[in-house]
Amino acid sequence: MPFNLQNNSPTSTKRVLLAIFLVIPLIMVTLYAREGEGGPLHSVQNAVGGVIAPVQFVGSQAGAATETVGNAVTDATADAETLSQLRERNAELTNLVAQTEEYKQEVERLQELLNFKQAYNLEGIGAHIIGRSTDAWNQTITIDVGSSDGVATGLTVMDASGVVGQIIETTPGTSRVRLLTDPQSGAAALIQSNRAEGVVRGSLDGLLYLENIDADVEVEVGDLVLTSGLGGSYTRGLLIGQVVKIEGNVGDAARRIVVSPNSVVHATEEVIVVADATDSTSSANEDSSEG
Amino acid sequence: MNEPRENIIVIGGAVVAVLLQILLAPHIAIMSIVPNFIMAFVLTVSVLRPTNLTPAFAFVLGLLYDLMGNSAVGAMAFMLVLVSFAAQKVFTVLNNDTMFMPILVIVVATFVAEIGYAIFMMVTGVGVGFVDAFVYRALPCTLYNSVLALICYPLMARLLSGGNFKKKGAGHSDMTIIR
Repeated sequence: MPFNLQNNSPTSTKRVLLAIFLVIPLIMVTLYAREGEGGPLHSVQNAVGGVIAPVQFVGSQAGAATETVGNAVTDATADAETLSQLRERNAELTNLVAQTEEYKQEVERLQELLNFKQAYNLEGIGAHIIGRSTDAWNQTITIDVGSSDGVATGLTVMDASGVVGQIIETTPGTSRVRLLTDPQSGAAALIQSNRAEGVVRGSLDGLLYLENIDADVEVEVGDLVLTSGLGGSYTRGLLIGQVVKIEGNVGDAARRIVVSPNSVVHATEEVIVVADATDSTSSANEDSSEG
Repeated sequence: MNEPRENIIVIGGAVVAVLLQILLAPHIAIMSIVPNFIMAFVLTVSVLRPTNLTPAFAFVLGLLYDLMGNSAVGAMAFMLVLVSFAAQKVFTVLNNDTMFMPILVIVVATFVAEIGYAIFMMVTGVGVGFVDAFVYRALPCTLYNSVLALICYPLMARLLSGGNFKKKGAGHSDMTIIR
């Protein structure tokens, strides 16, 4: 018997139902805000994230496959019209060239990552980005390595051009990374030229702001900003970006320093999860002494 | 009326909305504004086919949205239950069998839901001010989700009315209306 969703119950029942479905989420929000990262609601959210990650991966692969199939269908239609084996062969070769180009580009990206890893003497785990945030309030990515690969909450994530973010959740096979540009992100940072320390924060407008810098410190557009490693939240000495705008003057306590992130995450497909901080610290010190 | 058929359409639509949220929404984000297929679908169905179980329906889909993301669990569930119920009631009063009214109700409901969600985000720890939250998230999200609802509404109206949507105008008059 099919279930009946139509209106055939008294008003009081409707009100009770409505009240229940309003109170339950409020209780959940309160619990979520009060419990720690290991609380039951966080755990369920983490588990759901782990479940949908492979679906997102399949989705992104399906998107690419659909495009390829679309091209193939177009080519095949042209072949049917002309009945030319030569054109079929040409289509196959075109696909092959496209595939080879794809592999070539991937190799180049991985080579860049490898060079970066070697330049910084990083110990890390390479990973592919398999998913992105499903809501507008969190800037996160999902990567295809997890706790079974040695990834843990708090590790720094980088791409070939700089810091991307930090691991916030792990499952055995996947991890979620909160991007540096997320308003909830904060990285202890320093300006390379004068070693002034502050905190780089993300924002809803997509920019990074360097805060808590002493008012009397001189900052110039173009100064490089690195992670300072203070508090242990991010690996020390990694490039975050460069100063692109300074709102206010030296001595102005309300001065705002805008930092352009070096890494462009939406164009990135592979990242490194930095596992060892020790060597990058010495590398950063060498950089600073040279500077 | 063909209730089992309508139920299947609504449940099928809900599954599609969730899948679109997981698979498509992250890839069509504009300037970090990720569209909310689930909100567009819930509000559309609330206006098109209000039932006693609308709050439960909104709760389940809202909760799924919360669990898929990284924000406070329960925030979207609460907003969708509240706003879908209010939209349903307002539309029952204002319905004038034109296409304009349901669209207006859905757009206003989307705006209220986004503002409410922004307040939840601020209260639960996203360190942003109300003006930033309004300008950079609530307003653009409302616009994006309204566009989705504008696409979703005629589609669902046509499906639920069994193809008679065009003749009936708003597509609501041939459905069960809860008053």
